[in-house]
Amino acid sequence: MSEVTLTNKRAKRRAAGPYGKVGKALNELDDRLGVAKGGRTFMDKIFPDHWSFMLGEIALYSFVILLATGIFLTFYFIPSSAIVTYHGSYLPLVGQKVTQAFSSTVDISFAVRGGLLMRQMHHWACDIFVGALVVHMARVFFTGAFRKPRELNWTIGVTLLTLAIGNGFLGYSLPDDLVSGTGIRIAYSIMLSIPFVGTYLAFFIFGGNFPGASTIPRFYILHCLILPLVIMGLVGAHLFLLVRQKHTQFPGEGRTEKNVVGSPMFPVFMAKTTGFLFIVTGFTALLSAFAQINPIWQFGPYDASRISYAVQPDWYMGFLDGALRIWPSWTFHSFGHTIPFEVLLPAVVLPGLIFGLAYAWPMLERLYTKDNEIHHLLDRPSQRPKRTAVGVAALAFVTMLFIASSTDVIANFFHISLNTVLWLMRITTILVPLVAYPIAYKICKEMQGVHGAGKRKTPNIVSRTVEGEYLATPTPAYHDDLGHDLAATVVPTFIESEPDDTDEGGVRIVDR
Amino acid sequence: MGLTSPLIKRAALFSVAGLFVLAPGALFVGAAHAANYNPTETSRRDAGTPNSTIVIKNKAGTVIEYGNKYILYNAPPSKLDNLGKALFMENCASCHGTQADGIPANGTVGAYPDLVGLGPATVDFWVVSGRMPSANPRVVEASRRQPRLTPNQALAIAAWVNSLAPSIPLIPTPNLANANVSDGAALFALNCASCHTIEGDGDALAASTFSPSLRNIPAYQVVEAIRTGPANMPRFTGNLSDQQVLDVTKYVTTEIQHPNNPGGFGLGGLGPVAEGFVGLLLGVGVLVLVCYWIGERE
Repeated sequence: MSEVTLTNKRAKRRAAGPYGKVGKALNELDDRLGVAKGGRTFMDKIFPDHWSFMLGEIALYSFVILLATGIFLTFYFIPSSAIVTYHGSYLPLVGQKVTQAFSSTVDISFAVRGGLLMRQMHHWACDIFVGALVVHMARVFFTGAFRKPRELNWTIGVTLLTLAIGNGFLGYSLPDDLVSGTGIRIAYSIMLSIPFVGTYLAFFIFGGNFPGASTIPRFYILHCLILPLVIMGLVGAHLFLLVRQKHTQFPGEGRTEKNVVGSPMFPVFMAKTTGFLFIVTGFTALLSAFAQINPIWQFGPYDASRISYAVQPDWYMGFLDGALRIWPSWTFHSFGHTIPFEVLLPAVVLPGLIFGLAYAWPMLERLYTKDNEIHHLLDRPSQRPKRTAVGVAALAFVTMLFIASSTDVIANFFHISLNTVLWLMRITTILVPLVAYPIAYKICKEMQGVHGAGKRKTPNIVSRTVEGEYLATPTPAYHDDLGHDLAATVVPTFIESEPDDTDEGGVRIVDR
Repeated sequence: MGLTSPLIKRAALFSVAGLFVLAPGALFVGAAHAANYNPTETSRRDAGTPNSTIVIKNKAGTVIEYGNKYILYNAPPSKLDNLGKALFMENCASCHGTQADGIPANGTVGAYPDLVGLGPATVDFWVVSGRMPSANPRVVEASRRQPRLTPNQALAIAAWVNSLAPSIPLIPTPNLANANVSDGAALFALNCASCHTIEGDGDALAASTFSPSLRNIPAYQVVEAIRTGPANMPRFTGNLSDQQVLDVTKYVTTEIQHPNNPGGFGLGGLGPVAEGFVGLLLGVGVLVLVCYWIGERE
């Protein structure tokens, strides 16, 4: 009789235990490596669910796309400045003398199956990567997530942004096309502008005068090996600190400085974040399939004697280009030495100040507020009007510099004089942040005073009495807006055979 | 063998004598070159091509057709002269004068140039591209508009102005079948991209001056522009052969005007500006919305 029961599927499953074959495999693993304890901690890791906490994930997954597509591109790209005659399928280039770097990039676009899609995905993912970094950084800044104990992670984050921008520029330069070659020329000149050491620095980095044969191979190694390794290491450190220090959370019911309220790593967060990886990848692929980016075959090969008007860098270098464009032409020339302030100040000193301020901000704020407490609960931007206003002003300043990098496009589009646009940008770049600060400050103050600001409006129920009088009765606030949806439950500290019936919302609470 | 050796003496003598002969020669040639090249007042009549294999003159000895297998230049038919004169009086004479000799430039905007001897291609280009008659004669640089006059009427005006003092360049007919698009691409990058941009979209250049977009321009007008140098544009005459002009024209009318865009939408050829907007607003924007969708909203 018992043998008959065992052939029953359900009985077999019951005999295998609550976790079936997977559980058995894990058991075997646990017997040898002891993964159960750490694995349990890992799977119960709590991630707060707010949408703005996922912005960094856009950057992370864009970086994954960059790695994957980048590896594909290295199979076909030849990092060499050797001159070859192009004999590919793009007719207007046939017979032209081009570098191998350029020729192989055009071949990736036209001769390698799926090569153009990979190139475009790599480039779009880069634009999205840096964009997501900025958005993520803004979230961290405006909610005060950089405060003690997370100053180190903020520093790593700012470093990641600079490295991402730098590596983006290097990668943009690799195809050796007319537009990117102009960019390298500008970068070389910026290095030259540094007083006393500029020439030596430029010769050291570029391996001689511009244009040289060492530029492309050096940029290639930096772009594909050294900087990605550094970025990967820093991303690892960034995430390790995130796990070690646990995630911040917005204040709400059941959420204190002593706990973390959110979804456990397994299964809720894991499913969500894996899905998000696919969404980011799919969307980038979609964008790359339909929107052309950096058509280097139209630009042609770089040649120091050629120049195209209206050349801009990729968007994340735009603020530098804009600063260079609108800076007045000041030059110091004496004692047989020239210091080109018109290049040094906007392209070396200014970015140094911007990123220096970003690095120093947590320290500056602590000096100002004398706040030495540990913070795990986030601020609403409106609660900290001064910080928010500084952030808005800084973003406005960089955005105005970014817009200034398209002075020619603006002048052409609106049919106004380029000189007018130049002066307009000079004035507005200074004026807009000055105006943005008080406006942001006042809006924050205003929001503090208004109850329920930022929450959804509830409908009024209009009723008519028997006398014919109309009454508008406001309905109570939405359930979600009250923060009541996070009834927290204690996380189990041992593996239970029965599923946790209090796990309904997928929300748990765990001691820090 | 010392310095007094007869061989050395003789060589020195010949050298000095040679120098006396060569120096005036070199001076003369240099002066001739300098006289030929005067950037402020170039003779408009030198705009022909050095390698014309076809030169046809009429009874009066005026060149009415010249060129080669790449581009053929024809004078506008003289039977259009009367129509052209009527149209000129109606549309152009109020600024350029009844004798097409303009108002002398006095350094201010709105001085109307002398059209006599500019060659029919110049007049034809300005009229047929809609720049003339100008909507606002005081503007620094007239822009391309919907033409007021038909191509035939433009040709008639060019014919009448040319009849006042026959000159070249004549109206070109490019034979695109003989063009090399690859050479055209290289020449375009070298000669045109510095103003018109490498994608040919044109851009603002300086105070109130701009380089126009090269889209939707017929091939013969591209040749006219290169050979006559309208507005700010340099006039490419001897430095580009007819073959090279034809190559550039082929590149402009094919790859610039009808780019293949194998990668998808061309984003208006604005380069990283447009790409940045798409990357930030569409790329990052949509993904932030996805965050908002799958994350918790309070």
